[in-house]
Amino acid sequence: LAVEPEARPDGIPGSNLPGPFPVGSYAQRLRDWLRGRARVQLFGEVWGLRLSRTKVYFELRDATGAVPCSMWRNEFDQLPLAPETLIDGVEVVIAGGPDYYPGSHTSSPSFSFLVADVRVAGEGDLLAQLDRRRKALAAEGLLEPQKRLARPALPRTIGVVTGERGKARDDVLAGLRRRGWAGRLVWAFAPVQDRHAAPTITRAVQDLAAGGVDVIVVARGGGSLADLFAFCDETLCRTVALLPVPVVASVGHHTDRTLLDDVAAVSCSTPTHAAEAAVRVDCAQARGQLLASGRRLSVQSRRAVLERARSLARLARAPAEHVARHRRKLHQDLREMRASARRRMADERGSARRHLLVLERKATAATGAGVRDRHRDLERLRLALDAHDPERTLERGFALVEDDAGDPVTSAERARELGRFGVRFGDGRVRVRRDDQETLF
Amino acid sequence: MEASPERTYETATARIEEIIRRLDSGDAGLRETLDLVREGRELVEYCAAELEAVGQGLEELRLEELVARLEAGSRTGGSE
Repeated sequence: LAVEPEARPDGIPGSNLPGPFPVGSYAQRLRDWLRGRARVQLFGEVWGLRLSRTKVYFELRDATGAVPCSMWRNEFDQLPLAPETLIDGVEVVIAGGPDYYPGSHTSSPSFSFLVADVRVAGEGDLLAQLDRRRKALAAEGLLEPQKRLARPALPRTIGVVTGERGKARDDVLAGLRRRGWAGRLVWAFAPVQDRHAAPTITRAVQDLAAGGVDVIVVARGGGSLADLFAFCDETLCRTVALLPVPVVASVGHHTDRTLLDDVAAVSCSTPTHAAEAAVRVDCAQARGQLLASGRRLSVQSRRAVLERARSLARLARAPAEHVARHRRKLHQDLREMRASARRRMADERGSARRHLLVLERKATAATGAGVRDRHRDLERLRLALDAHDPERTLERGFALVEDDAGDPVTSAERARELGRFGVRFGDGRVRVRRDDQETLF
Repeated sequence: MEASPERTYETATARIEEIIRRLDSGDAGLRETLDLVREGRELVEYCAAELEAVGQGLEELRLEELVARLEAGSRTGGSE
């Protein structure tokens, strides 16, 4: 240690230690010595983050100890972190080494671990924070307004918010080329992951909406959730939710969904898809369809007129054709009636002949059989009568007693009463008179 | 006929399809057919103009330029 001899006081009597040395020189040597220590990475929880114009201060703590940390403000601003990321309790990994501020007559010295880089280690905290914010926005109904906006299928002007040198820019252009879209494209270049990102993007979407663009695409390539935290900024998300122009978000990938994806009208997985979602019409195909529609309208127009002209011509010819048609029909009917009459007469003549023939046959049959039967019956009756003829009995030797009237006398008593009666034999009649002696009999 | 304020490319194309379906059905009378064809042709022209507007070549500009143009436009408009 270089010390001016006349300024150095005497040392402590009896002490064997070197010195005394001027404190400023010692402090600078101490600073140099500490800066010569190894650069290392530490992890722990952030507490008490304070921002000053030139530096940022916080403590890194765990259960067994803590280290005061500092970081140059310009380096802190370049970190891919939203300002509210480093809240108390967030676990981080820091890189750097010990440092010492020697102080002066007017400023206090301090020891700190000078941080050169920070990475958020515990994404669980970020996710919890994100979840709280998402629920708050949902409770206020801010996830819906963008989805209710009318989104033009064929916008004339598209605003795109993205990093100037990022790949997302090329992807958006590729998507628009695939749609065959070549309208007006307004680029709003913005940082997409440092702490300036969210406010810049917020201003950009507001300016684009005020500038009259039809739709806004916010695009960024993938990254960790911490990298994408700018797109979870509450002010940005509230602004987008209430924007009168639809926003198509393409931030990160499927796995790392940001709050902007939630509030936007449409969320896409890649900037190319976002461009295609912004222009829903395939322009080349639409031109072809439009041409075809124009042709069909012309065809329909011509057809409508021609068909009606033909119809009118048909109607004009109709009366003459009607008369001719009826004349032909009448002729036909007449021919059919004549033919029908002829057929009927022929049929009836045939029928009459058949009837006559049947009658003749019946008559013939009736005549032959009947006469024979009657002859047979008469013969049979004749024989029966003959069998009962009293003449025959008389011929066989019997006699018939009759009164004068010729009625038979069938008892002796009747014969006594009559006194006179006849007896008829087979060959003639004899008159008999009753003798009073009656012994005659 | 003046375009209705809510007319957009998609409403126009949807109406064209509706008109063509009606004409294809053959149910429209002559008067209706001619009216539909006239309306359809007007819509086709509107859609063609919309496609033409985004088919002339990509025009790229930065947001700052757009803002500057709008400010210049408002100044010109204000001075008139």
